[in-house]
Amino acid sequence: MSAGSFIVLFIVGLALVAGVYVVAVFDSLAAAWVAARRPSGILLLPIRRAAFLVVQQHNETERPDEAGWRLAPALYLALAATGFGLIPLSASFVPIDGPAGIVLWGAMEALAIVAIFLHGWSANAMLPLIGAYRFVALGLSILLVSMFVLIAAALPAESMRMMDLVDSQRELWNVVRQPLGLPLLLLVAMTLSFWGPFNFADSADLATGTASEVSGPPLLVWKLSRAAMLVSFSALAATLFLGGWLGPWLPGPVWLALKTVLILAVLAGMGRLAGRVSTERMITAAWVVLLPISFLHLAWAGVEALS
Amino acid sequence: MTAVDVFFYLLSAIAVVAGWRVFRTDSMVRASFFLLTSFLTVGGIALLLAAPYLGAAVLFMMAVEMMVMALFMVMFMMNPAGLNPMNMVHQSRFAIGAGVVAGVSLAVLALVVRFPRHPVEPSADLISRLGHELLGDSMLIFESAGVAIVATMVCTVVLSSASGRYGNATSGSRPPGLEPGGEPAGRRPDSDDDADGGDDE
Repeated sequence: MSAGSFIVLFIVGLALVAGVYVVAVFDSLAAAWVAARRPSGILLLPIRRAAFLVVQQHNETERPDEAGWRLAPALYLALAATGFGLIPLSASFVPIDGPAGIVLWGAMEALAIVAIFLHGWSANAMLPLIGAYRFVALGLSILLVSMFVLIAAALPAESMRMMDLVDSQRELWNVVRQPLGLPLLLLVAMTLSFWGPFNFADSADLATGTASEVSGPPLLVWKLSRAAMLVSFSALAATLFLGGWLGPWLPGPVWLALKTVLILAVLAGMGRLAGRVSTERMITAAWVVLLPISFLHLAWAGVEALS
Repeated sequence: MTAVDVFFYLLSAIAVVAGWRVFRTDSMVRASFFLLTSFLTVGGIALLLAAPYLGAAVLFMMAVEMMVMALFMVMFMMNPAGLNPMNMVHQSRFAIGAGVVAGVSLAVLALVVRFPRHPVEPSADLISRLGHELLGDSMLIFESAGVAIVATMVCTVVLSSASGRYGNATSGSRPPGLEPGGEPAGRRPDSDDDADGGDDE
């Protein structure tokens, strides 16, 4: 491996660590805001929680699928990092460049569903298993929506290379051209990082679902991965709909970071404000409401790209 | 030996070992995920062979496909969690015969057939050329038909399935009798809510 690869790994890792910290702080802020109390000590809280999990003992269940159970959090984290690596960070730098970047992002989403299911299934316990099945039902339903959003974002660029997707927004950002895309992508982001109203994998009514039998360092990795996934999705939303690194005066990476943090703030607020509905209703909504809306979105994007 | 060669042999070895494990494991979910591992490495090999779209497509199609397969197998089988050991193979003798025949034929083909050699210049727009090669002028028809088929599938499911837990999925439906014209088998949805009021499952 060349020195360049290590620098890329270092940059992606550093950005994700910073992003995860921002997610934790924003979530505490949103919680304090919703509860109308003064936030206190939230800057150190994520670090203290992480330190506690590092020294906590890790749990064992009876006859789990040991390999799957230990690998799932790492797999999920690897997928989040891969997703972040596909994002163009500046005019000339994409950590993982390729002519089919947006398709690879879709593959990352599909594999993330497998990793989350594996995490719940392999614990060999009831509540994680229920969380896993709930998540798969919703995740597979929402994946179609996600594919249409990704395809629509590639239409104006007439390319699947992430760099071209950003370049196509020089005149007009996609958030104006395809107004339905950003809200739909945020819903997909919350589903795949089981955040807020879309938390079906690790929900409170299942005593934190797929994570209910996990403690100590594996739980820390799981929580980190989930926040990292949210960061990657925010960076993707900023790239596909808010022009990514494009912007005047400031350097490209700074613009991307600012836009990503803005999306993260929106997601943190939505996570605390929106209520969760029952699984059946959510899946009905995914197929009967969200999927037709995403059809409409794709048709809109197609007509817009032709005109 | 270049890095591409190293990755090719590594991915090939994983593909073969994972494919072998599919038949040696004792759980449907594990078998699906071993098969998925095998396909993912094949997708990785496609990426190495400079087929960027096909490689990525294999990755996401196989991920969704194997997840759906694991889910449906578990849903319709007697072993709900998929963690209890069960025998995953049947018709061993026929399967071994078919496997040997297929494997030997493919190996012979790979060794005997003279594959075309058309080196592609690195700057070629592979994905759009692939799209024109596959669909040509029919691209719009294919894409419209694809969306129409998905919409039809969703509508069919919505129209044919009641909501279930809160709605009346069972009302009006009666299981067939155990003998022709006999009493309906199983529980009857209408006569359930008597005696013990609390238990309405």
